[in-house]
Amino acid sequence: MYGLIALAVSIVVFVFATWLPNFRLLWGVLGSSGVPFLDKLGLPLNLIGGIATNFTLFSASYTIAIAVLFGMNIAMIIYFLRRKIADARQAGISTGFLGIASGVLGIGCAACGSFILMNILTFIGASWVLSYLPLAGAEFGILGVSLLAISIYLTSRQIQNPTVCKI
Amino acid sequence: MENEIKQTNNLSIPITIIIAGVLIAGAVLSSNRSGTNNVASAPQPQAVAENTGGLGKLAPITSADHIRGNPSAPVEIVEYSDPECPFCKRFHSTMQQAMSEYGKNGKIAWVYRHFPLDQLHSKARKEAEATECANELGGSDKFWAYTDRLFEVTPSNNNLDPAELPKIATYVGLDIQKFNTCLSSGKYAKHIEDDVQNAQATGGNGTPWSIVVAKNGKKYPLSGAQPYASVKQLIELALQGK
Repeated sequence: MYGLIALAVSIVVFVFATWLPNFRLLWGVLGSSGVPFLDKLGLPLNLIGGIATNFTLFSASYTIAIAVLFGMNIAMIIYFLRRKIADARQAGISTGFLGIASGVLGIGCAACGSFILMNILTFIGASWVLSYLPLAGAEFGILGVSLLAISIYLTSRQIQNPTVCKI
Repeated sequence: MENEIKQTNNLSIPITIIIAGVLIAGAVLSSNRSGTNNVASAPQPQAVAENTGGLGKLAPITSADHIRGNPSAPVEIVEYSDPECPFCKRFHSTMQQAMSEYGKNGKIAWVYRHFPLDQLHSKARKEAEATECANELGGSDKFWAYTDRLFEVTPSNNNLDPAELPKIATYVGLDIQKFNTCLSSGKYAKHIEDDVQNAQATGGNGTPWSIVVAKNGKKYPLSGAQPYASVKQLIELALQGK
């Protein structure tokens, strides 16, 4: 069951990453009554193919890694919470969410101009920062993968810890 | 005391997450609502349009545009492109494929506009000017020949040696002296900037940024170098006027 949860969450994150630049198009096509059902189904599927054309090998790799790690992370957190460990220390869970937040910034950097990162930098008046990042924002993708890996490690340690009162 | 410190530590992480979430949500909302982004270094327009209204800001397609194919085609694809963007290079081939399938029988027209991303590719703006010089000296055919060759030879990511620009001009058969004079004059800087402003006004967040325009006026925004299957499907929808 937890494997399925991990798989489902991974797929959702991956699909989200490939659709991210084109939500406006998808919204318009899916919401249009004149568009045949098969086209409504086909366009989102075709856009997933953007992983091969709208990503570099590097950005596609860390995007897939983020999706897989996030799926694993969520499944582990659900497992952890269901065990109802009273002394639920949040470190692993929090790191996981920071990982996905950072990963999303990296995902936005797949195409030239970075969908999300550029807007955040613009929002805080620091769009010039991008020209000083050697990987043009892909640093956030790497950070996301690292934080998710740390999160999985911390969560697995929490799962392994028996719920006992320390003397 | 120790409990208080623990509580503060426990709160700091969720607060950080919330701040990160708010920043991301704010950025996404801001990009969707305003339809603008400050990619270029020049002063940018402020929030100008609602989500759908941004596409309404598309500058009218006129004879002054660079149009490949039938200018009266029922479907027009306006592409805002950066010659140093690797995804634009990829999408250039996708558009060539679309032209070979739909352009031959006059069903689509490809309209090329400039969207150099200065912060990522400082050389792109000058390269865009070079294509305009090609257009001035040799008309539409030379513009497209120059643009095709530019995308062919550039390694992308700001790695094209500027010395290649006159070489491309020679390759496509332009008068090299006139080309160099034109390029150094900077006379097309405003034209390029106007295209950049229009790309941003229509909601362009990066390159390539394309808008498929159907005969009935319906517009389909397409961001990034999406696969040919997606482009083909949008063309078919636009041809059907859906």
